[in-house]
Amino acid sequence: MADIAKNDGAAGAAAQGSGARIVSGKSAIGRILFLGLGALFGFLLSRAGATTYDFYPRLFLFQDLQLLWVIAVAAGVGFIGNQIFRLSKARTLISAAPARYQGKPWKKGLVPGSLIFGLGWGLAGACPGTALAMLGEGKLGSLFTIAGFLIGTYLHGYRQNKKIQAGGS
Amino acid sequence: MNEITQVIYWQGWIGGIAIGSYLLFQLVLTGHPLGVSTGFGNVCGMFSRLPFFHSGKYEDNFNWRLWFIIGIPLGGLIAALTSPEPLVASFSLGSLYDSVLPAALPLRALVLTGGGVLIGMGSRMAGGCTSGHSISGLAMLNPPSIAASAGFFAGGIIIVQFLFNVLPALGIGG
Repeated sequence: MADIAKNDGAAGAAAQGSGARIVSGKSAIGRILFLGLGALFGFLLSRAGATTYDFYPRLFLFQDLQLLWVIAVAAGVGFIGNQIFRLSKARTLISAAPARYQGKPWKKGLVPGSLIFGLGWGLAGACPGTALAMLGEGKLGSLFTIAGFLIGTYLHGYRQNKKIQAGGS
Repeated sequence: MNEITQVIYWQGWIGGIAIGSYLLFQLVLTGHPLGVSTGFGNVCGMFSRLPFFHSGKYEDNFNWRLWFIIGIPLGGLIAALTSPEPLVASFSLGSLYDSVLPAALPLRALVLTGGGVLIGMGSRMAGGCTSGHSISGLAMLNPPSIAASAGFFAGGIIIVQFLFNVLPALGIGG
C-alpha cells in the first residue's frame, strides 16, 4: 500500500502532462480511446456469450456453465497478469503510473447488496455491462433494464443522502 | 416475440481468456481497472443535485467511465453485424426467459425494470458489479470481491430456480 502511494507520487508528477488528460477522458483523444475500449469490451462480452440471454438461466439451473467458465478463466488470466505487472513493476503506457489497482473494501451492505444484485441478474438476464451490449444487438428489453439501473442507483444515493443528513443534524 | 438477434459466441474458456486479456490491456494502457456500474452513478450525477452524486467518486461525473459505457453498445452492434444471422430489434429474451416472463409488453417492461432496479441498488450497496467484483476483484483474489461474487451467484440461483422450477410447480407460468 505504502509502495503504491509512493509510486503514485512519482508518477503523479510525470502524469501532469497530456497523459493524465487522456486517461481521465478529459481530452478528445481520451474520449475516443474510452469509446473504443468500451466497444472492444462490449464486443468481447458478446463473443463470450454474455449477451445471450439463454446462458443465464442455464447457468443458474446448472445446465450449462459457459458464463462461469468465462468469469473463472478471465479472473485467472487477470490474476496471472496482475502478478506479472506487480513483480515487473509495470507502468501504464499512457501516464506511466503503476499498472496496479487496489481491491474494493468491505462495506456494510456488501453481502445483502450482492444478493439483491444476484436476484436482478437472474431476473433480467443481464448485468450492467451486458445490458448495454445487448442494446447494441437490438435486444430492446435491455432499455427497461438500463432504466432500472439508473432508478436503483438513484434510490441508493437518495437513501445514503438521507442517512448523511440524519447523522449530521 | 420469438425473433431475436443470434450472435455467434466462442467457447467459455476462450471468452474468458479474451476478457481477462482485455482487463489487463485496459489496466496497462490507462491505469483504470475494469468496472461498469459506477458509471451509472456518474450518469445519475448529471440529472440529480443530490450531494451523494457530487462527492467522493462522483465528484467529477464527466470522466472516462461515461465514454466507456457509451462505447459498450457500439461493441454489441459490431458483434451483431459480424454474426451470420441478421440483427433483429425485438423485446424477446430468447426461448427460456420468454417461457416464464409475461408476454404482454407493459408487464414485461415492469419485470425488466424491476430487475434493473435490483441490479442498480445491489451493485451500489456491494460497491461493484460482475465486472468490478467478479472480474477485476477476483483477479486480485480480493476477499470482499470473492464474497460479493458468491452473493451474486446465490441471488441468481435463488431467482432462476424460483422462476423455472417453483413457479411451474405451483402451476403459474412455465
